Amino acid sequence: MSGFRRTLGSYGLTLLRFTRGLARDGLAGAWDGLARGGRYVEDWLLGEKHAKYGLAVARMLLALTGIGLLVANFRTRLYTFGSGSAWNGEALHPASDFPQIGIFSLFHRLALHDIAFTLGYLGLLGLAVLVLVGWRMKIILPVFFVMWVSFIEMNDSVGDQGDNMYRIVLMYLLFADTAARWSFDASRRTRARTAQSRVGRIWQGDALLPSWLTNLFHNLVLVVVTCHVCFVYASGALYKAGGVPWQQGYAIYNPLQTQRFGAWPELSDLVGTWAPMVAAISWVSIILQMAFPMMLLRRFTRVIALFGIGGFHVGIAVLMGLPWFSLAMIAIDAIFVRDVTWCRLADRLRSGWRAARYTDRTRPLIDDATADVAEREVARA
Amino acid sequence: MSEPSSDSTASETDPRPPGSTALRRTVLVVVAIFAAWQIFATFLWIAPASGLRQIVPGDLLRSYMIPMQGQSWSVFAPEPINGDYRLQVRAEVTENGTTRTTDWVDATAAELSMLTHNLAPPRAAIQSSELASRFKGAFDELSEEQQEVAALGFYQGDDWRERLSDGLAAAGDQAVAGRYIEAERTALAYSTQVAYAMWGDGVDHVQFVVSRQNVIPFAQRNDPDAERPAVQPAPLGWRGTLEEPGQSRENFARVFRTAVEESGQ
Repeated sequence: MSGFRRTLGSYGLTLLRFTRGLARDGLAGAWDGLARGGRYVEDWLLGEKHAKYGLAVARMLLALTGIGLLVANFRTRLYTFGSGSAWNGEALHPASDFPQIGIFSLFHRLALHDIAFTLGYLGLLGLAVLVLVGWRMKIILPVFFVMWVSFIEMNDSVGDQGDNMYRIVLMYLLFADTAARWSFDASRRTRARTAQSRVGRIWQGDALLPSWLTNLFHNLVLVVVTCHVCFVYASGALYKAGGVPWQQGYAIYNPLQTQRFGAWPELSDLVGTWAPMVAAISWVSIILQMAFPMMLLRRFTRVIALFGIGGFHVGIAVLMGLPWFSLAMIAIDAIFVRDVTWCRLADRLRSGWRAARYTDRTRPLIDDATADVAEREVARA
Repeated sequence: MSEPSSDSTASETDPRPPGSTALRRTVLVVVAIFAAWQIFATFLWIAPASGLRQIVPGDLLRSYMIPMQGQSWSVFAPEPINGDYRLQVRAEVTENGTTRTTDWVDATAAELSMLTHNLAPPRAAIQSSELASRFKGAFDELSEEQQEVAALGFYQGDDWRERLSDGLAAAGDQAVAGRYIEAERTALAYSTQVAYAMWGDGVDHVQFVVSRQNVIPFAQRNDPDAERPAVQPAPLGWRGTLEEPGQSRENFARVFRTAVEESGQ
């Protein structure tokens, strides 16, 4: 009996030691893992700026969105936003909150003065071009942001969700280095600084703040934008999934048949004719939106997600007459394309351009020679 | 534009960036917590209202998000729009001492001609669609008695707007009447501009009708005899003209008249 008890006791002790060891190792391992994870996060956030090309492309596409919208509305600017639109009452009682906020009230103040408004409009267009080429972004981007919000909120009733996304993402981008690549700022930073004073050197491209600090903000902007886009798509999918037309797979038919959201009635009819296709497009758009956050995690699925969502936005742009909403969304998705992919794409474009230029230069020579031969032949005859 | 390979700038190649580890970590934690709050607030705001929102005390979430981060992503959901809104206008015009009633002009068709077959339509194209949609929403809220009042003419004398308001308020809910009056004011100011653009300054009164018409139901889309369901109008009486201060008739008329011609009216 006592032998049994002794054996039991020794087993108990062993078990205790074993558990204690396991716990100690586990704790140490967990602590180690946490520390390693923490170092990784710290390095990722502070070490260098990520997705510089993606953010540069996002900046350029957002600028193109602004330019496109301003150009498309130029002829009718006074009718929609200016003194021709005073009937909507927004000149007296703005429907949006922004005109009542000092710095965002500029265009609201100019609304009824045709010349001043037009000058402001052209000024905004000029700023958008500067954003496109990335010139002095630390100054230009905030000014563009303030003026853009002031402009787009003038006539609240003709806006869409694209305006909201554009404004919010532009606000995020104020904290990132969107001019680190493919910009005038980037090429300035590679040149030698000759100025003696610190201010002069900063003007010539020296960093104003320590790089770890700007890296931190830049990289957190990437995190915040990614989360935001994921929430937008996933919630969009869930809201849709609650509706009968989406469940029954014919939802895209309805808006395309209206005049307001069916810019190309013949295409709308074509897309809507075959029920299996209508159902496939309706459901794929929901599934892609829903799965977008998960599909971002691996490259293979990310490519499918980006092409899928991109195609979906091209469809919205053309069929529904919402090009600027779509381009803004595509611009934001540009950050999910890796830098190496953007570089490869740029190389392809560059070599294609060079090839085209080379052919272009040689053609007149050939033409001249042919003409010469032809002339000689004519002379001989 | 720089070459993609020019990776190094002075600030980024510093092996030991300035700032102690403790300082950097403190800043990192503070800024990361703020970013986490931003993400969480965005999540709560985009998601449907739920019990989770109680984590954020009081009105903090709303005041943090509005106006800068106002957004709504139930776009085309749960049920995408399946009809068109339309706003049509006619007027009584006095020219050379004679008064006549004009034909109707379809302002929405005119504006939408700027959108149809256009890859980059101007926002001018959707003004009356949006206006009509909001007006119809407010009109449909009215009680039957209130709608009967709205169908009467109000244009004589200087006090027709007060008589209209009083009549609507007496016939049903006052808040509903108030919202409707707002919507009618905007639609009337627009219709007045349409009338001036079409028939000149001799316009005495205007009448506008907003309607909605649904699209051909999906099941009947390939039936060649299918027609769109019946028009649902919001019948309204004649009204006096109404012009907001600062309105330029010329800047309205120039675009609108071109649009009317484009639409083939």
